[in-house]
Amino acid sequence: MGPAAAPHKGHVELLSDAVEVKAGEPEVVELRFRVEDGFHINSHTPKDELLIATALQLSPARGMKVVDEQYPHGSTFRLPLDSGGTLDVYQGEFRVSVRLVAPKGSSTLTGLLKYQACDNAVCYPPKTLPVMVAVTGH
Amino acid sequence: MVPLSVRRLAIVALLIAGVTLIVMAGTHNLRHRQAEMQKAQQSEVQLTPASSAATSGDPSEDPAAKTMKGKAAPSFTLVDLNGKKVSLADYKGRPVVLNFWATYCGPCKLEMPWFQDLQNKYKDKGLVVLGLDQDEGMAVNEVAAASKRVGVTYPILLPNDKVSKSYELGDYIPETFYVDKSGKIVDETIGAHSKDELEADIQKAIGSGGM
Repeated sequence: MGPAAAPHKGHVELLSDAVEVKAGEPEVVELRFRVEDGFHINSHTPKDELLIATALQLSPARGMKVVDEQYPHGSTFRLPLDSGGTLDVYQGEFRVSVRLVAPKGSSTLTGLLKYQACDNAVCYPPKTLPVMVAVTGH
Repeated sequence: MVPLSVRRLAIVALLIAGVTLIVMAGTHNLRHRQAEMQKAQQSEVQLTPASSAATSGDPSEDPAAKTMKGKAAPSFTLVDLNGKKVSLADYKGRPVVLNFWATYCGPCKLEMPWFQDLQNKYKDKGLVVLGLDQDEGMAVNEVAAASKRVGVTYPILLPNDKVSKSYELGDYIPETFYVDKSGKIVDETIGAHSKDELEADIQKAIGSGGM
């Protein structure tokens, strides 16, 4: 996996661009994302139901099957003005593990990462980041 | 007839003089360019970000984003959670706080109970707080449930793009406008602020535009 797209204006970028797997068998690949410094996004399991969870919506290519996705735990974050509650967030790099079965040869794993970013003082509207990773099955 | 040796000597002397002139001109030119470059470096203006916001992306630190202060608050008519029409003109002659927020915004929900407290505190001064929801595609009952959970009872008004545009909102919330009794925006803040800061801005709105 090498560096992929330029930093996304929505404060999150996809770092993964290609993976190699054993064809025809369930394999776990890690999709690497990075949240821009100074920003955070809610984890997949935010503490407050009103907060928007980070989630992948994958659309695998024909012949490819996504078995499941596993999200990392978030880290605890407290807004500077908040003396009470904390948030469960992703900051910096985070990786989502995707278990998939890929066909032999080249195919593409596409989808969207849904998330909502904030910094210490403001929040930005919910956004979607396109995900496109080349999968080579051997 | 000039002897051959003398002519040769003259040609050599001319060549030497020519080369000397070229070298001198080159040296002068080089010195001149060096002096010009030095002058240019001394007068160079260092372009640095106006604030840390330019690098951090934090709009709450960007003074250029505050454009509405001193202007008349744009009029609007919106619908509240009960379907009732609410206009800014309904509160003519009273200080008004317009707080743009959304259910997904943590910093907004931090401030909102403080606005509620301050509305209660300055009720006798006629203070009105209006919460202008910015959620997209959220059901009214969900917005109502969220505002109830946050603990506010002041009017929550449903989104309208025209109003967001007329207030020149950025791509972020919370954003708050403090409107005095004459309808003028006396302050505009971006991002969550401490309760003391909110109160100071409210006092500014109460104390201004006397009628």
